[in-house]
Amino acid sequence: MVGAAACLEDRVVTRKPSAGSLAEASGRDALVAEFVESWRGLEGDAWIVRGGRDEVRRTIVEAARIMVEDGGPATSCRVLAWSTADLASLDLPGLLAQQGWEHVPWPTGARAGEAAAGTNGAAAAGDVPGAEEVTRTQAELVTLAAASDLGITTCAWAVAETGTIALYATPATGRLPSLLPTAHLALVRPSQVVRTVPDGLRLLAEYMAREGDPPSAVNLVSGPSRSADIEGDLAVGVHGPRRAGVIIGEW
Amino acid sequence: MPGELPPAGATWPERRRRALADPAMRAAVAKSTRSLAVKKEAVFATYPAAEAMRKRAVIARRGSLARVDALLDELTRRVEARGGHVVRAAGPADVGRYVLDVARRRGVQRVVKSKSMATEEIALNEQLENAGLHVRETDLGEYIIQLAGERPAHILVPASHKTRQQVRALFDEEAAACAVDPPVGDATPELTAFARRQLRADFLAADMGISGGNFLVAETGTLVLITNEGNGRMTTSLPRVHIAVVGIDKIVATWADLADLLQQPALSGTGQRLSTYTTFITGPRREGELDGPEEFHLVLLDNGRHELLGTEFVDILACIRCGACLNVCPVFRTIGGQAYGTMYSGPIGVVLTPLLGGLERAPELPKSACALCYACADACPMEIDLPRHILALRRTEVERGMEPWSDRLTFELWGRFWANPAGFRFTGRIARLGQRVYVRDGRLKGAPGLVGGWTATRNAPPLARESFHEWWARRRASRTGS
Repeated sequence: MVGAAACLEDRVVTRKPSAGSLAEASGRDALVAEFVESWRGLEGDAWIVRGGRDEVRRTIVEAARIMVEDGGPATSCRVLAWSTADLASLDLPGLLAQQGWEHVPWPTGARAGEAAAGTNGAAAAGDVPGAEEVTRTQAELVTLAAASDLGITTCAWAVAETGTIALYATPATGRLPSLLPTAHLALVRPSQVVRTVPDGLRLLAEYMAREGDPPSAVNLVSGPSRSADIEGDLAVGVHGPRRAGVIIGEW
Repeated sequence: MPGELPPAGATWPERRRRALADPAMRAAVAKSTRSLAVKKEAVFATYPAAEAMRKRAVIARRGSLARVDALLDELTRRVEARGGHVVRAAGPADVGRYVLDVARRRGVQRVVKSKSMATEEIALNEQLENAGLHVRETDLGEYIIQLAGERPAHILVPASHKTRQQVRALFDEEAAACAVDPPVGDATPELTAFARRQLRADFLAADMGISGGNFLVAETGTLVLITNEGNGRMTTSLPRVHIAVVGIDKIVATWADLADLLQQPALSGTGQRLSTYTTFITGPRREGELDGPEEFHLVLLDNGRHELLGTEFVDILACIRCGACLNVCPVFRTIGGQAYGTMYSGPIGVVLTPLLGGLERAPELPKSACALCYACADACPMEIDLPRHILALRRTEVERGMEPWSDRLTFELWGRFWANPAGFRFTGRIARLGQRVYVRDGRLKGAPGLVGGWTATRNAPPLARESFHEWWARRRASRTGS
């Protein structure tokens, strides 16, 4: 096993999301472009946003219209979103209210903030204003999630080569919002995109070293649910979200 | 003691005959295997990292198999430390008992399953259904197979032998039985929409989810589950109880090993770079989490695997169930998976079925279901030498005297006669005499016995009137004469 471990050492990710040189920045652009190409190749929807917070917010609305209503006017739309501080800065309740859409935050218990620290976009949730401090039963949450049109999450990292996003399950970042709603939209920061799956797993190893354990569940998602079980013909949206979208940008 | 596999059902000649007489199935299998084989070729050609990763993955897999027991102990400690339960199961009955015990204790009535070869191997559904539980397969292909009351015909695409018309007929029947609207047509999206609606209801009502597992990471006690449809995520996220039934061969030591292995099932199976959903599960839901199973059970299945360690067959345990060997096998491509009479079909099934279930369970597979063309050896990403194993199993069959007396007699006589020139020439003369009745229009037709099997589907030429030896002797005689 020494051999395999040594091989992995050669492929350690050295890129950090720090303010980098011009070369680093252009390397990142290339990674983002490759990620988007891979993701779209898997029948996923992707938007690259360069304009910052306001444009990210505008793009969320556009993405929801396209993914939920196929571009038509989404008259009603129920959005289930993770309750992280990272997402809170986008003021989803306000944004969705403007459209007349319903915003359902993922409920977080009192201890949620501590456990969620440093995951899925490096954000704690305990101090999120407006986060619901009630604990619903799983059955209620399942019903709620299954009746939602769109799930909005961030991600822990993304892989350019395979068009993959990684979602860590923690109290504030539940499994259901990316699973049961009709569509799933993930917000990805350019600095979160790595080249290969082993690069991403290296980031997970860092998390494990820090927390002492992997999360209870990590989901790597590469585009929408697919199957080729009927005559080898590609079918999208068998079980999971029918459409899977990513917005890559800073906010 | 080997493990235990469900019986084959019909006899080998009967299964073979049924397969060959089903042109729709054969066309569907030919199409799906070709498409998967082409996709695999394409991804390795266009994704340079794949081959280097594959080579490291082989090393990782073999290295882990060399110390399975220690790794299983480590895995068990880690899972238990995270609040999960681990149990070792020797065979089908152990698993059934354990699952039913958990089900009774937690008041489980409805079970959803994600695709798992291990649970097929131990006929778990049957055991649970006999105990009164409602079990639903949720992989689209497995769902179709379950409705049809059949066994998966391909490790990866279990319903690849079914046409869309057949699928629609099954769905129509199910719709009538459930008093719901049938699919509106037989286009793929229409059939998929029906399955999605039906299975979504099953997911939401289920108390227990049963999954298999693609890998187990010993160093953290993590279960790795790979699916394309998302039914694996549903099965392991929604019900209160999650039970994973995983062969002990799935263990890897570290995350570094896993990093090289993770993409291999997709690369060689479907030609994707990574499957759509890859889930790492470490224990049940944690404090403060509002979703995920309350209980996590890991059943480590032996069923004949452990005794392969340290034998010449040990590398069979490196199999990642990608199905690449099926897709290139001329026998599989001709008769499809169900003729094998086992859930493991194709070259891997020819080897694994007798190794897990005992040679008496399927002596016909090594003997008759392989042309020794070595295509599978080339296709296997884990570099398992399948043809060598098939030859070894054939040898064992002969050593144990398992072949029928007619075979023994035939080969004994054949060996005697052809061991010397006089015997060889004698058989030729006899055959030339004997074939006279069966030669029509210069072709051998409707011959009896063994030869009849050959000529039934082939236009065989008769033996020449004069053999080369005879011609040569005559020519020399006439030359020396002149």
